[in-house]
Amino acid sequence: MEQFVSSLFQLFEVTHLLFLFGGTLLGLTVGILPGLGGTSGLALVLPFVFNLDPSHALAMMIGVLAPTTTSDTFPAVLMGIPGTSGSQATVMDGFPLSKQGMAARALSAAFFSSLLGGVFGALILSVSIYYAIPIIMTFGFGEQFLLILLALLMVGALTGENFVKGITACFLGLMIGSIGTAPITGDPRFTFGTLYLIEGVPLVIVGLGLFAIPEIVGLLDSKGAIAKSLTKQKGWLVGIKDVVKNWFIVLRCSTLGCIVGALPGLGGTVVDWIAYSHLRQTTKDTSQLGKGDIRGVIAPESANNAKEGGALIPTLLFGIPGSGNKVLLLGGFILIGIEPGLDMVTTHLDLTYLMIWSLAIANILGAGLCIGFASHISKITLIRYYILAPVMIVLIFFATFNINRDWYDFIGLLTFGLIGITFKNFGWSRPALLIGFFLSSKVELLSYQTQAVYGLSFISRPVSIILILLCVATLFLLLKQKFNKSYASDIIKNKKSQIYFVIFLMFFPFFMIWNIFHLDYRANLFPISLCIISIVLLMLIFTIKFLDIKKIKFLDKGIINFMNTNIYENNNGFNNQLFYYLSFIGYLGMNFLVGFPIASVFFINCFIIFHNKKDFKISICISLILLLVLWFLSSMLTLQFPNGVIGMFVDLPWWLGGSLN
Amino acid sequence: MFRTLIILIISIFTFSKNANAKVDFSGKNITWVVPFKEGGGTSRFARFIQPFLTKYLPGNPTIKIMHIPGGGAIKGSNYFQKNSKPDGTYLFGCSTSVIVNVATGNPLVEYNLSAYKPVLLLPQNTHWFTRSDLINKAHDITNLRKRKLVLYALKTPASADLFHIWVFDKLGIKGAKPIPGLSSSGGYQAFLRGEIHISSHGAANYVKKVKPEIEKGKVLDIMTLGIIGSDGKVTKNPLAPNAPTFPEMYEKVNGKALAGDDLEAFYSIAAAWSQASKSMLLPENTSDDIVNVYRNAAKQMVNDPDFKAKATKALGPFPLIIGEEAGAIIKKAAIFSDNTKKQLNKVLKKNRFTYRVK
Repeated sequence: MEQFVSSLFQLFEVTHLLFLFGGTLLGLTVGILPGLGGTSGLALVLPFVFNLDPSHALAMMIGVLAPTTTSDTFPAVLMGIPGTSGSQATVMDGFPLSKQGMAARALSAAFFSSLLGGVFGALILSVSIYYAIPIIMTFGFGEQFLLILLALLMVGALTGENFVKGITACFLGLMIGSIGTAPITGDPRFTFGTLYLIEGVPLVIVGLGLFAIPEIVGLLDSKGAIAKSLTKQKGWLVGIKDVVKNWFIVLRCSTLGCIVGALPGLGGTVVDWIAYSHLRQTTKDTSQLGKGDIRGVIAPESANNAKEGGALIPTLLFGIPGSGNKVLLLGGFILIGIEPGLDMVTTHLDLTYLMIWSLAIANILGAGLCIGFASHISKITLIRYYILAPVMIVLIFFATFNINRDWYDFIGLLTFGLIGITFKNFGWSRPALLIGFFLSSKVELLSYQTQAVYGLSFISRPVSIILILLCVATLFLLLKQKFNKSYASDIIKNKKSQIYFVIFLMFFPFFMIWNIFHLDYRANLFPISLCIISIVLLMLIFTIKFLDIKKIKFLDKGIINFMNTNIYENNNGFNNQLFYYLSFIGYLGMNFLVGFPIASVFFINCFIIFHNKKDFKISICISLILLLVLWFLSSMLTLQFPNGVIGMFVDLPWWLGGSLN
Repeated sequence: MFRTLIILIISIFTFSKNANAKVDFSGKNITWVVPFKEGGGTSRFARFIQPFLTKYLPGNPTIKIMHIPGGGAIKGSNYFQKNSKPDGTYLFGCSTSVIVNVATGNPLVEYNLSAYKPVLLLPQNTHWFTRSDLINKAHDITNLRKRKLVLYALKTPASADLFHIWVFDKLGIKGAKPIPGLSSSGGYQAFLRGEIHISSHGAANYVKKVKPEIEKGKVLDIMTLGIIGSDGKVTKNPLAPNAPTFPEMYEKVNGKALAGDDLEAFYSIAAAWSQASKSMLLPENTSDDIVNVYRNAAKQMVNDPDFKAKATKALGPFPLIIGEEAGAIIKKAAIFSDNTKKQLNKVLKKNRFTYRVK
C-alpha cells in the first residue's frame, strides 16, 4: 500500500509527467491517423526508450499505449474509418450520429466512456496485482506452456478473417522466431554464418514492418477520405450527460472489456464487438442500434479502453502478450531491463504501480485533451496523406536506424514491410504473425522445460484442465459469433495471385528444413515440427482455395464452410500499394548513396512535389524542420547517422552523416 | 574535420617518446564501447563509473558510452577491436560473457581480449542454494548426491552457465540435469515453485531475493564460489560467512584438496565468472603512461567519499581490482588451457550437449 502511494508521488515528479505527457500526445496522434495504432506508435518510440531511466521509459510507453483507443474515435466518428482495430464497432453508431450532425455528442460520449473504462481497467489491474503472487506460483512450466499455446490458438483463430489462415500465420510467425541461436544447444539456425541474425530478427523491425508500413501505403492508396470539419459543432455536454445516464452500460462493458482483455491472446480486436453484441442482447429497444444510437458508441468505447488494464495482467505476470501492442511493450521491458513475472509484484512492485498510475492518468489526460481540443485535434485527420506519408517513412527509418545502427535492419524493415502489405491485402493476420514471432523462443524453451520436469503429466494438473476448458469455451462462443457473417466469394477478383502467394509461402518451410536438417535434434526438432505443420496448413489452404475457384458445391456445408469463409480477401489496391512501396526502396537506395539526412530531404521533397507541385513550400518547410531536428538530436545524443557511399569521397559535417571525431 | 585534426595532433603528442609528456584529456571525448544493450549490468556499471572517471582523469574529459548490442556481445567487441585507437580515448566495457566468447573459442570472435590493458575489474560471486526439504542441514549435500534427479537452470551451454555443469560434476551430484533456457531470475522463480532443485544467484540478488527466503526457513545455503585473493588463496564470502567455498566443498566431498587440473580449471573459471565479472579495459598497444594515468584515476576514484557511499549499493560488496593484478586475471579468464577445455568438453559430453569448447 505504501508503494502504491509513493509511486503516485514519483509519477508527479515533473520529468515523469513530461514523459507521460509526451507519450500521451504521440499516442493520441497515432490513434487519430487512421490505421496506425498503439503497435506502430510503440514500435516508433522503442528504439529511443532505452536511453531513459526505466521509470521514465515506462511512463512514456504507457503514455503511448493508453490514449490510442481513445483518440481512434476521431476517424471512426468523422470518417467512418476505424482508427485502430479496436474501434470498428464504434463506427456502427458513431458515423451515423456524425452524419446526423451530432458528431460532437458522439465524440464526447466516446471520450468520456473511454476515460471511465480506462480508469476502471487500471483499478482492476491494481486489485489483481494484490492477489498475483499465489497465481504466479501455481503457474509452473506446464501451465505457462499451455497458456501460451492457448494464446496463440486464440490469436490465430480470432484476429484473422479466416480461421485456418490465422492459425497458419501464427505458425509462420513461430518459424520466423526460430531464426537465430538455438536456445537449447547454442547452434546457429538459418543465420548463414552472419552475425546479424545470431540474435534473431529484431522485434522492432518486425513490428514496424508488419504494421506501420502497410498502413502508410494503405492510406496513400485510399487517397484520403474527407473528414468532416468539427468547427461550430455543439453538444459536447450532451455526450457527457449521455454517459452519466448510461453508467450501468459503462460498468458492465468495462468489466467485460477487462475480462476479455485479460484472456491472453484475445487482445483488442474482438472486445468492441463483444461489448456491442452484449448491448444488443441486453437492451429492450434495439431499433436505433446501428442507425445512430449513442449507447452503441458508449458500449464499445468503454470496453475497448478497459481491456488495456486487463490485458496488462498476463503481460506483467507471465510475459504473455495479449495483442500486438503488448508484444512491443514487452520488448520495451526487455530493453530497460525489466523481466515480467514474480519480480513485478515483489522487487519491482513500485514500477508496476507506476505503470498503473500512468495508465490511469494517461487515460484522463488523453480523454481530457480530446474533449478540450477536439476541433483542433480533429484537424490532424485533414492533413493530406502524401504529406504525412513521407514524413512517417523518414521517422520509421530513423527509428530503425536507432535500434542497432545496422544497414541490415533497413533491409529487414522493407522485407517485413512487403510481408505486411501482402498479408494485409490477402487477408492474413498480422497480429498472429507478430505474436507467433515473439513467443517462438518461449514456446520452444517451455516445451523442453515442461518435458524435463513433468513429462506429459502436466496436462492432468488442475490448472491445466481449467485452462483447456476455458479456451475451448471461449473459442466456441467467439467463433460462432464471428463467422456468422456471410461471405461472397464471387466478387473477389485477384484470386490467382492469392493462390500463388500460398505456393510461394510453402517454399520457406521446405527451405528451412533443408537448411537445418544436419543439426542436433535438440536444435532442429522444434523448427522442423513447425515447418511440417506449416506445410500441412498451407496445403489445406491451397486445397480450399483451389476448390473455391472451381466452385465445388460441398463447400457450403458445416465445418468446410467454416474453413472456406473469407479464404480470399477482397482487395483492390494491392498493385498501387506495391508501387508506393517501391518508392521506399528508392529511398533506401538514396540512403546508401548520400546518407540518411540528405536522402530524407530529397525523398520528402520528391514525394510531395510528385503528388502536388503546389505544395513545394510545405515540403521545403518540412525538410528544413527535419534537418534542424536531426542536427539537434545528433548533438544531444551523439548520434551518428548512416553514412552513404558519398561519405567516402566527401567529408560531410558529422550531423549529416560524417564521422564524429 | 576540425575535431579530427585536434585529436590527430593530440595523439601525435601523446605518442611522442618524451617520457615527461603529460597525459592530458582536456576538451577530449572519450568513447566507452559497451557491447550490450542500454540498461544491462555492464551498461549500469559503466554509467556508475563514468562521472567519477571524468572527475579524476587529467583534463576532465567527456566520457560517452556507446552501446553496440548484438551477436551475443561479439558485434560490439569486434567493433571495438577494429575502431578503437590506443590513445586513451577509447574504453571497453567487458563482462563475463565477452570473456567466455574468447575462452570457449567462438569462431566469430575477432577481438584480441587477452592483449587489452585492464584498468579495473569488478568482482562478483556466486551463491548456490537449495530447498530446505531436500537436504538435512545447510551446507550438507549428501542427500543431493543420492537423489536420482537434481534439476538446475542453465541459460545455454555456450554461456558462462557452462561452468555450473562442471561444478556439479566435480561435486559428484550424479542426478544433476540442466534445464536449458532459464535465466537466473527465471530459474529462481521455477526454484521457488518447486520445479527445480538447485538454484544460484549473484551477490546482489542473493541479498535481495534469497536471504528473505533463508530467513523464512524455506531455502538453505549450499556454498559460494569463494573469493580468490591475489595469492590464489580462496576465502569465504562475507555475505554468507558460514557457507563453504567451492574448494572446501570439493575437499569435503572428494576427501582430497582441490589440486592439479581441477584447480587449474577452477582458477580459470573463477577468473572469468567471478573476478572479471565486469571490467574496463584499454585497447591493446596502449602506452604504459596512459594505462597508469587511468589506473591512478581509478585508485583515486575508489577513495572518493561519494563513490564509497554509493558503490556498495550500485556495484556490490566486493572491492574493485585495479592495476597489474587485473591483467593476469583477464589472461587467465580468456585463455583456457587445453586441460581445462578437455575437462569442460568432457562434462558437456556427459550431459549430452553437442556444443564443444574449442
